[in-house]
Amino acid sequence: MLRLLCLCCVALLPALSQAEIRVSDTRGEVVLDAPPSRVVALEFSFADALATLGLSPVGVADDGDAERLIAPIRADLDAWTSVGARSQPSLEVIASLKPELIIADAKRHATVVEDLRQIAPTLLLESYGATYADSLQSHLTIAAALGREAEMAERLAAHEALMDDYAARFAGALAEGDTVLFAISSAKGIYLHGPHSYAGGVIARLGLDSPIPDATEQAYIPATLERLAQADPDYLIVGEYDDESVIDTFAQSPLWPLMTAIRHGHYAQRDPHLWAQNRGLLPAERMAEELAALLDTRLAGTATQH
Amino acid sequence: MTRRLTITAALGLALLALAAWHLSAGAVSIPLTELWQTLTRGHADYDFILWNYRLPRLLIAALVGAALALAGLLVQGVVRNPLASPDILGVSGGASLAVVALSIGWRQAPVALIPPVALAGGFASLGLLLWLARAVWHRPAALALIGIALSALFAAAIDFLLTLYPLEINAALLWLTGSVWGRNWSHLPLILPWLLALLPVACYLAYQLDLLTLGDDTATSLGTRVDRLRLVALLTAVALTGAAVAVCGAIGFVGLVAPHMARFLAGHRHLPLIPVCLLLGALLLVAADLFARILMPPLELPAGIVIAFLGAPYFIFLITRYRHW
Repeated sequence: MLRLLCLCCVALLPALSQAEIRVSDTRGEVVLDAPPSRVVALEFSFADALATLGLSPVGVADDGDAERLIAPIRADLDAWTSVGARSQPSLEVIASLKPELIIADAKRHATVVEDLRQIAPTLLLESYGATYADSLQSHLTIAAALGREAEMAERLAAHEALMDDYAARFAGALAEGDTVLFAISSAKGIYLHGPHSYAGGVIARLGLDSPIPDATEQAYIPATLERLAQADPDYLIVGEYDDESVIDTFAQSPLWPLMTAIRHGHYAQRDPHLWAQNRGLLPAERMAEELAALLDTRLAGTATQH
Repeated sequence: MTRRLTITAALGLALLALAAWHLSAGAVSIPLTELWQTLTRGHADYDFILWNYRLPRLLIAALVGAALALAGLLVQGVVRNPLASPDILGVSGGASLAVVALSIGWRQAPVALIPPVALAGGFASLGLLLWLARAVWHRPAALALIGIALSALFAAAIDFLLTLYPLEINAALLWLTGSVWGRNWSHLPLILPWLLALLPVACYLAYQLDLLTLGDDTATSLGTRVDRLRLVALLTAVALTGAAVAVCGAIGFVGLVAPHMARFLAGHRHLPLIPVCLLLGALLLVAADLFARILMPPLELPAGIVIAFLGAPYFIFLITRYRHW
C-alpha cells in the first residue's frame, strides 16, 4: 500500500512541477504547458519586456533593421532573427523558428492571430497606439506568461520610484501652465502625440502638462502648422523619421518663429524610435532622462533663483 | 487558331513554372528538388510552411488575378474604351469604403466580416452607378465617366475617414493596399465559387460581346439585346471584382493590363481571349506576390504596390504603341 502511495506521488510530481500557466490577453485566456523559452516578439515594446526579464527572443519583428530597437534594449538581448515588418511579419520565418510563445499586437496582428496560433500559443496585447499604462500592463502579462510575474512587479516598482524621482525634480521647475508636446514628423505629415499616446502618457506621468489635454480620443493626431501653432506648446520635441520631412517646410513658414517653443529656444529633435516606436519600460526611463537634460537649463535657472 | 492554342499552352506552362518558383522561394527557401517530395510525401521542415502559407497564397493570388483580369475583359468589352477597367466603375472604391466604414463604426468587428462587407459595398456602388447612369445608359463613355467620378468620391470619403480616425483601422488600412499576406485556406471559398459560377456566364456572353464591337446598331440588328448584355456583363464583372477585392483588398492594374496583354497576344474574339486573359491575370498577381516576398526578405511588401510597379511601365508601353482595339 505504502509502495503504491509512493508510486502515485512520484507519478504526480512532474505534473505538479509543470503546472500549466494561464494568462488573459485582449482576446481571452491563453494556456501554456510550461514557461516558454523560445519567444517571438512582434512589437518593440514586447522585446523591451523580454529584455527587462533578461530573456532573449528568438525572433523580433524589427522592420528589417535591428537598430530600430533602442540601444539599452539591444544591450540586454542576444542576436535575434528578424521576422520582417511589424505591419506584415513573415509567418513562414516565425514558423521556422519553432517558437513556444508569440507575442502579437492587438491592433496590427488581429487578422492573422489564427495563423499565429497554429504555430504556437499567441498573446494578443496592446502596443501600437496603446497608452503608457496599457504598455506597462502588457509587460505584466508577458511576465505572467513566462511565470515571472513577481520579478516584473519588482522591476515595475523600481521604475515607478524612478519616475517619481523625475516627477519631483520637474515639479515646480516649469512656470505655471507650461506645457510639453511630442510630435512625429515624416514625409507624410506631422502627428501630435496626445495625452492618449504612449509619449503623452510618459510626459503626464512625469507631472508635465500637455497643451492639448482634451484631445483624448486619438493617440496620434494629424496636424497642420496652424494646428501646431494653436496648440502652442512651451516645449516642443519632434521625432523626425526621414531626413527631409514636413517639419522642415514648417520651419520655413513665417508662423514658425512666432511659436512659444521656438521663440524661447525650447525646440528639440529627438530619436523617433525612442519616443514613439519602442514604447516600453526602458524607453520611458530614457525619455525621462532626455527630458531632464532638455529642461536642465530651466532647472538650473530655478535653482539659482531660490 | 493553332497560334492561339500555342499561346494559351505557353502561358499555362509559364504559370506552372512561376508557381513552382513561388512555392520554393521566400524568406525560408525550399529547394526545387525537394518541392515535389514535400508536396507528395511530406517533409518535416517544409510541410507546415508549404501547406499553410505558400500553397493557399499561390492559389488565392492566381484566382484573384484571374478574376480581376476576366472582370477587366468584360468591362472593356462593354464600355469599349481601352482605359476601362473594374477600378473605374467605382467597385473597388465602394468595397474599400464599406470596409473602412465598418472598421470605424464597429471597432471590435470580427475580421471574418471584412469580405462579405466588401462584397456588399461593391454591389452597392454598382447600384449607385446604374441609378446615376440611367439616363445615359446607351453611351458607354458616359457610364465610364460617372464611374470615375464615383471612384474619386469614394477615395475622398476614405481619405476623410482616415484623417478623422487614423488609428482605429490599422487592419483595414493594410487590407486597402491590396495584399495576399496572411491569406489562408479559409479565404479560398470566398473567391473560387464566384469564379467557377461566373466563368460560364462570361463564355456565354463572349459571342455577343464580339457583336457589340461592331457597334450598338449592328449588334441589335444581328439579334443582340444590347441593354441586357451590358447589364449582365457589368454585373458579372462587378461580382468578380467584388469577390477579388473581398479577399485581397483593392489591387489595381491587373484588370486593366491583363486584358490589353491578352488582346495583344490573341486578337479580339472574346471566347479565345478568356483563357489567355485568365492565365495572364493569374501570372501577374502570382508574380507580384512572389516579388513582394523575395525582394527584401524577411520584409514583405503589399502585392498591390508591386503590381503597380510592374503594371505602370507596361501600361505606358501599351499606350505608346496601341493599335489593338
